[in-house]
Amino acid sequence: MKIVVAGKGGVGKTTVSGTISRALARAGHDVLALDADTNPMLGVSLGVGPEETDLLVAVRQGLETGETEHERSTEGFVERFGRDAPDGVRLVVASRIEQANPGCMCCGVSPEGLLNELESEGKIIVGDLEAGIGTVMRLQEGQADIVLVVAQPTAKSLNIARRAVEMTDDRGGRVIVIANRVRDDEDLAVIREAVGECEMVVVPDDAAIARADREGLAAIDVDENSPGVKALVALADRLAAMAVPA
Amino acid sequence: MTTRPAGGMRLAVVGKGGVGKSVVAATLARTLARRGHRVLALDSDTLPGLSISLGAQVPDDVPLNAAAERNEKGRWRLIKGVGPVRAVQRYATDAPDGVRLLQIGKHDRRGLEPNRASHNAFYQLIHRLDDAPSLEDWVILGDLPAGPRQMAFDWAPYAQQFLLVVEPTWQSMLTARRITRITTAMREDAQLSLVVNKVAADGDADRVQEFLGVPLIATVPADESVRRAERAGVALLDLAPDAPAVRAIERLADELDVRNMDRI
Repeated sequence: MKIVVAGKGGVGKTTVSGTISRALARAGHDVLALDADTNPMLGVSLGVGPEETDLLVAVRQGLETGETEHERSTEGFVERFGRDAPDGVRLVVASRIEQANPGCMCCGVSPEGLLNELESEGKIIVGDLEAGIGTVMRLQEGQADIVLVVAQPTAKSLNIARRAVEMTDDRGGRVIVIANRVRDDEDLAVIREAVGECEMVVVPDDAAIARADREGLAAIDVDENSPGVKALVALADRLAAMAVPA
Repeated sequence: MTTRPAGGMRLAVVGKGGVGKSVVAATLARTLARRGHRVLALDSDTLPGLSISLGAQVPDDVPLNAAAERNEKGRWRLIKGVGPVRAVQRYATDAPDGVRLLQIGKHDRRGLEPNRASHNAFYQLIHRLDDAPSLEDWVILGDLPAGPRQMAFDWAPYAQQFLLVVEPTWQSMLTARRITRITTAMREDAQLSLVVNKVAADGDADRVQEFLGVPLIATVPADESVRRAERAGVALLDLAPDAPAVRAIERLADELDVRNMDRI
């Protein structure tokens, strides 16, 4: 199964991606976490650490300076631009490279195209997309089984979330809105009003997640029983149930 | 009649998504305008942000789309007679406190294509701002989209001072470090200053400053009013003119004015 996570910058896409990846892996799934943001940060939320995350990005940037060799096979790509993260998650950084080398797995293919190439049989791919709606718009049929649109109770993030939901609906894709950082009924009401009657998961504003952000840790490592983390773990369970045909 | 503060400023606001770039940029733009500066706010984000934080009415169409056309080879060029000065007159829109706002068209379900002309016009205009003597005394303040990408593609060629907005989270700090590296590599003369936003605890600003090694120009406290303004989609200055965050951004304006006086 392929899951992608979209939304405005700073709404918590990477925290959602990292936490559900870890939770899915803990539940025994084979998880590939794909960082498709041009400003890659998924390593931090997976619990790899800030400096280790930047090292992985440097390998990727080495393509532009010639320090890293190009890679033509998908397996090699996952090997060379990835590393293991806690709970057995495999993290791969696939940010866009500007000096694209056509026909090359590691940079000739857009992150959306990469979602096509990666084999998801028997595994779950979680793609943390670039902020905004460009990537959602470019998503083609078969590139994602589920689009998670992360929103918080701000007019700007809801403007983007609403359009991401519309675009996914237009394509007939399955979309779940993650109402993030919800503190009160009014927060929830503004989100509901913006995105309409689509499937929604509420993640309460959470001190453990805030602490994880401040300290560069995975939220699930800070407190797996905090309300926000629990909501995301429950979401992971639901997603896993969709992945396994009954 | 009030005296107009002398000397222009060339500012770009950069940082990770969600750190508060647009709130800082918009509040700063209006504060400087209230003090008598002529202010041009530049919005090169394909997502809406700055206009909301300015409290500007944004027309449904994109005026700047009229400023560029394709030549016979299919390359974009500004239409005849349009340079930076005329663009500010014709294609910028009015925002509160007399700020002029020039913006590119936003991403919608049709993608970027319908607004391609505005993107090309904008890019060419910002590369010609130095050719316009009548804008010399203006404050030109750009709000760049999230992350390092636009910096790498030279979307702030006019900027002399880069306000690096950072919140005390690792994601924001790593992003700021990436932006700092790109900016200093591209622009030897660039002056980077750190605005630490959403400061909630003692030591937050020091921690960020130590990590980045960029001089601090302002700290802005975490402020419930900002949350309310962002939820309602209104300008912070209109909702809570006396909020602690507004006061902090006013002090940032003071500091920029002082620097400007020292320079000229």
